Amino acid sequence: MTTILEVKNLVTKFYTLDGVVNAVNGVSFDLEEGETLAIVGESGSGKSVTMMSLLGLIPSPPGKVEEGKAFFTTSEGRRDLLQMSTEELRDVRGGQIGFVFQDPISTLNPIMTIGEQISETLTRHLGMTKEQAKERTLKLLAQVGIPDPQLRYKNYPFEFSGGMRQRVVIAIAISCTPEIVIADEPTTALDVTIQAQIVDLFRRLRDTLGVAVIWITHDLGVVAGVAERVLVMYGGRPAEIALVDDLYERPQHPYTLGLLGALPSLESTESERLVSIRGTPPDMLIPLENCPFAWRCDYAFERCWEEIPPLMTVDEQHQAACFYDLEKGGPRDG
Amino acid sequence: MVENDVLLRVQNLKKYFPITGGLLGRQVGAVKAVDGISFEVKRAETLGLVGESGCGKSTAGRAILQLHKPTAGQVFFEDADLTQISGEELRALRPRMQMIFQDPYATLNPRHSVGKIIGEPLIIHSVMKKGSQELKDRVAELLELVGMDPGYVRRFPHEFSGGQRQRIGIARSLALNPEFIVCDEPISALDVSIQAQVVNLMQDLQEQLGLAYLFIAHDLSMVKHISHRVAVMYLGKIMELTDRSTLFENPLHPYTQSLNSAVPAPNPKSERKRRRFILKGEPPSPANPPSGCVFHPRCPLATEKCVAVVPDRRKVHPGHMVACHLADEKGSSKIPEDTILASVVD
Repeated sequence: MTTILEVKNLVTKFYTLDGVVNAVNGVSFDLEEGETLAIVGESGSGKSVTMMSLLGLIPSPPGKVEEGKAFFTTSEGRRDLLQMSTEELRDVRGGQIGFVFQDPISTLNPIMTIGEQISETLTRHLGMTKEQAKERTLKLLAQVGIPDPQLRYKNYPFEFSGGMRQRVVIAIAISCTPEIVIADEPTTALDVTIQAQIVDLFRRLRDTLGVAVIWITHDLGVVAGVAERVLVMYGGRPAEIALVDDLYERPQHPYTLGLLGALPSLESTESERLVSIRGTPPDMLIPLENCPFAWRCDYAFERCWEEIPPLMTVDEQHQAACFYDLEKGGPRDG
Repeated sequence: MVENDVLLRVQNLKKYFPITGGLLGRQVGAVKAVDGISFEVKRAETLGLVGESGCGKSTAGRAILQLHKPTAGQVFFEDADLTQISGEELRALRPRMQMIFQDPYATLNPRHSVGKIIGEPLIIHSVMKKGSQELKDRVAELLELVGMDPGYVRRFPHEFSGGQRQRIGIARSLALNPEFIVCDEPISALDVSIQAQVVNLMQDLQEQLGLAYLFIAHDLSMVKHISHRVAVMYLGKIMELTDRSTLFENPLHPYTQSLNSAVPAPNPKSERKRRRFILKGEPPSPANPPSGCVFHPRCPLATEKCVAVVPDRRKVHPGHMVACHLADEKGSSKIPEDTILASVVD
């Protein structure tokens, strides 16, 4: 396995009239070739800003990527995404890294046919002629499960339903055989039966194309079915990172535990009371001096109010940013 | 819960929205948003109403409270038919039925303080006088009831988070001591950790105050959690209605089965093993619904009869209604294990 993306200590801030928003405070993670990593968090946890920072999509001003490295390894070598020029980044975006966003209607250009939109990516990134691009576009449309590609090629986005539009966006994302596809809440705007179709499509594409996927979501149900590893974010920081089975079976961060408890189970027949997390997510305008979750945490002790917990190793593939050892029932060693 | 103590009875309720066209703006068609639904809600009971977007579940909630004038059908609240009584009589009944809305940002007037928002129903219905101590006490009591600090009365909606605003919305709906509340997607705009808080609050309030809820949502797992009975809607019609454990353990309508199968479970091990029926295609337009059973174009079991004849609601077991030609005690409407439905188009 080769690591194709190494993100180290990413810090992104927004300088607003109300003050400095500490949107991302030191996020680090690796992405292996062909792997699916889910980034889970609630609104304002910094999960989307992390991805936008890596790709130079943070509007500046007010936003600024202040620190960090993001090494992207391809056949062209190991390059830092954060040091790239705008021109270089443009080649990477849509070329080696594809995207799928939450809302397919605002991703697509309403006055271009979807055929033109997919072909444009191909002529821009792969230097194809119009005829070559059309031929490949038709194949891509079939690959993402759009019936009658010949006919649909000439349609405009408004002529498609939500699920079909998302398939078009996925076709654009995979058009240049990228190394990584970043999917930011790709199924959140869709109905549950359509969501199942899109999740299924993603799984199949991942298996046939061997592309690595970063799946950003708030939905721990979807994550269980698609991800191999999961990064849980809270207050702009990583709270826990683990293999998917480990995360659900033995969560090491009280926030992860709380999130899992807050979900009703489809399997249980008894009506159990949901375990809710008290309080509300942190105000990102206030700079942190302690654990961002301490206010809402049932396990917080003195140390949680004094320091910011770094990611600590639980075992080889499992890290948690928490001073409390949930399994032992006391402060974590070391 | 007292058995057979029916608070609300909906009979063959229809709501069509006209489509106008042409130079004269004549009606050229109709969107059949709600097309003949019937059910009952008992006192202190939660009836879940699930369905995908556009199935008419929100329109149904509004038509029940007469916020949309129904095209046909009856809504009995106790003995009064809400579709027939005069405006004055309806107004007199209003305090007993309330609504909680989806978007906690859009439902609170940004220029009104929390105290004014929660106290307004009491003033409008002349229960209490504006500025009276009695009113202040009641508002404080309501804030406490929904788990908020009574000291917040002078604050404005923008000072609160989404979950807190939803609590304010709930406090407002409780002001007049209602018996029945239509909850239209009350938690779908909230974060996961906050959803659990609001759901727990709603359940506590039901126990304390004996409220009946019509809980409208698209999230099947949350509906299963909160409801006593569940009705599944598709394209303006109820496909299946039964108690919640039957709906999830022995769903008879093929649509309910696929809906169940599409919901991802927060458990990686079972997710890997799970066999899914993934429905083909997408719901058709309610302006031009399919012939016969509205679900037949997507149904893996559809027969010629399903294309031609609209299925009646039938009682397969006591308290288990299914609108499917194939449904019977033997389970003929079950999608067989070896059906491969996963994206057949690919």
